[in-house]
Amino acid sequence: MQADWKVADNRLGILFILPFVLAALVFMVYPVLDAVRMAFFYIDPLNPTGDHFAGFDNFRFIFSDPLFWKSFKNAAVWTGTSIVLQTLIGVSLALLLHLQLRGISFFRGLLLFPYIVPTVVIALTWQWMLNPEVGIVNYALKRAGLISENIYWLSTPGMAMISTIMLNVWKYTPFVTICVLARLQTIPLELYDAAAVDGASLVRRFLDITLPQLAEVLVVVIVFRTIWTFNKFEEIYLLTRGGPGTSTFNLAIYSFEQSIANLKMGVGAATGVFMMCLLFAGSVIYIRLFRFDEESTP
Amino acid sequence: MKMKQADTGKRMSATRRKFLTDLSVLTAGAVAGTLAPELSALAQTTSNKTGVVRVWGEPGPYGGVAVDAMNEWATKFAPGLKFQIETLGWDSVYVKLMTDLAARRPANCISVESPIAMQLMAQGLLEPLDDVVSKVGKNRIIKGAKLEYWGAWKGKQYVLPAHHQPHLLIVRMDVINELGLGNPDTWDWNDLLKAAKTVSEKRKDMAGITLALGRNLCTDYHFAALMHSAGGRMFDAEKQFEVVFNSPGTIEALEFVKELYAYMPKSAVSYSFLEVTDAIVTGKTAMAFYWGRPYGRAFEENKQVFQNLESFNHARHPKTGNRYNWNDFQGWCIPKQNNAFVDEVKAALAYYQTSPQWLVRYCQSLMPNVSPVYQDVLDNKELYTHPFFETKRRTIMTYYETSVPYSSSTANEMLKGVNPLAGIVHGRSILAETVQKVILENVKPADAAKWGHAQLEQVRKEHISLVL
Repeated sequence: MQADWKVADNRLGILFILPFVLAALVFMVYPVLDAVRMAFFYIDPLNPTGDHFAGFDNFRFIFSDPLFWKSFKNAAVWTGTSIVLQTLIGVSLALLLHLQLRGISFFRGLLLFPYIVPTVVIALTWQWMLNPEVGIVNYALKRAGLISENIYWLSTPGMAMISTIMLNVWKYTPFVTICVLARLQTIPLELYDAAAVDGASLVRRFLDITLPQLAEVLVVVIVFRTIWTFNKFEEIYLLTRGGPGTSTFNLAIYSFEQSIANLKMGVGAATGVFMMCLLFAGSVIYIRLFRFDEESTP
Repeated sequence: MKMKQADTGKRMSATRRKFLTDLSVLTAGAVAGTLAPELSALAQTTSNKTGVVRVWGEPGPYGGVAVDAMNEWATKFAPGLKFQIETLGWDSVYVKLMTDLAARRPANCISVESPIAMQLMAQGLLEPLDDVVSKVGKNRIIKGAKLEYWGAWKGKQYVLPAHHQPHLLIVRMDVINELGLGNPDTWDWNDLLKAAKTVSEKRKDMAGITLALGRNLCTDYHFAALMHSAGGRMFDAEKQFEVVFNSPGTIEALEFVKELYAYMPKSAVSYSFLEVTDAIVTGKTAMAFYWGRPYGRAFEENKQVFQNLESFNHARHPKTGNRYNWNDFQGWCIPKQNNAFVDEVKAALAYYQTSPQWLVRYCQSLMPNVSPVYQDVLDNKELYTHPFFETKRRTIMTYYETSVPYSSSTANEMLKGVNPLAGIVHGRSILAETVQKVILENVKPADAAKWGHAQLEQVRKEHISLVL
């Protein structure tokens, strides 16, 4: 009787998971496999009969293209800076929102705002806000006496990169905050009580209790945020289109340009495959480094 | 005086409203069959097919007018069909076009900028339209232009003329007169530079000149005109499109853009079509290179700017004397593959292109952005009923007529031969990137020209089959 239930449970479980498996196969596994296939082919989308095997030519092309390496460097700067800032600000905000103050729930709710607004709306709004002549940012800075000349936020290579990072940090810091806040709320208060009895200062308690307790969630958050930020396309494309010049090109935009503007689908796919391998290797190393995959011993 | 200006404005506004109302009345009248007898003789194709015929056009009302005309044909001869316009922004047109073609779901009829049309034509993706041209009339083209400018390849016509569209030097005459800078029609490059400098120094509220310098099509088009005036070119059409970009003319044009940049808004390095139009309409610039589009917007949004805007053929190059514009000989083309409505689109195009009323309406829908391509339309008195002719006749006729001898474009450099590689060059933003190397990265113009030359060589090598 019990065995029957078990079988029925298993079947029900499979039934529940089936829609996701199918969706994953169609929308994730198949595209990834096809991208890997395309990376080894010469593909002209306007002339499908001319497709042929290209071996490693597409990879040779990207590795010899200075724009690829520039995009790689930009992607590293954009990802690294964004993640550091998101983590620092995200943790700080989570600590603030963890305080038991009146009306704190309102601010916790407000935190979700940047995360739920569509990226295209944000990018267009930021374009206006950062407009050097009529944007509110320059206006506010001038009124506050902080600047005397307009800042060209999106028109000079350095500032354009800073602007795209600012947008990314603003939009995705709430994700870090929510994850960290959730973990903060599960840390046993007894640990803090005991530390207080022992005379540990606020900083000591943060370093010795809070931070170690947050380590696991931070590892996960940083891995996910790194993958998502490194792959990001729409924010940069909508805000600067990779410009001025190619100063905000990252690998996602490079791949798009190669695939669509240059009609080199194989080169675009090879870039995608490179990004996938790089992020997979990076994630494995990072998780191994923090031994996140191992059960902690008592 | 102020009263008089206000009255004029009011009258023009009222006239324009009346004009727009008249458009809808005319449409209804035409549907009622006013023109039917003469047109049905030309467009006899009937169809029992049903569905939506997708038509791609650039932003602006004129594509919609053409589609209204095609729907008039459908009402009479293919009642199951409905033509529908899909407008594509210039900076996204290449991406949209290529992805939809690659996905095998192109629009059934396309009006697209000439470099892209030339590329599609040479790639064998378009339906020949010689039969439509015969119905429409081969000898109607405006003086100074030839049918093949719109798109002929290896003896066949693939593009049916829709309009021609040159960019000119748009000038705020109140500013130029106030500073005593003379007649822009007589300027050479030195005068233009001096005028831009003087405005920048004397008028702190506006830039001397504004060009698009972003990584986009508009920059390509602005730079190409200067390059052609200086004697530079991308390819030599007479020598199987050998790359000739790395030339003194190109270098000189790059140097000139750098000199002009000192008197442009700093953010011009990210400007495309829209930002240049904004700069003109909001009065942030005294001069710009642009097509006729800002006049309509300025009329609606900034009357003071509208009243003072005039357009001229470009300043002459001091040595060559050339004053090329970038004239888009834009037309209608029909994708050959995966297109269920080839015959219907041909018939509808023939119907609309043989109707002077629809062609006049097309040009009047955004004055003076789309210039007439047929001499009988240019000579049609109805064309001149548009209210803009009251105050902007000289400017309009510069766009329509006097710019034609100075026509050039990347799709047909100096009108020496249709170039099927230009679309690919624009897709890769090679000209804009060359300019940006000089402006943003301080690369020497000669080195930037070398870089651009190498990129063009690569394009030619990859697509050699198109030009041999």
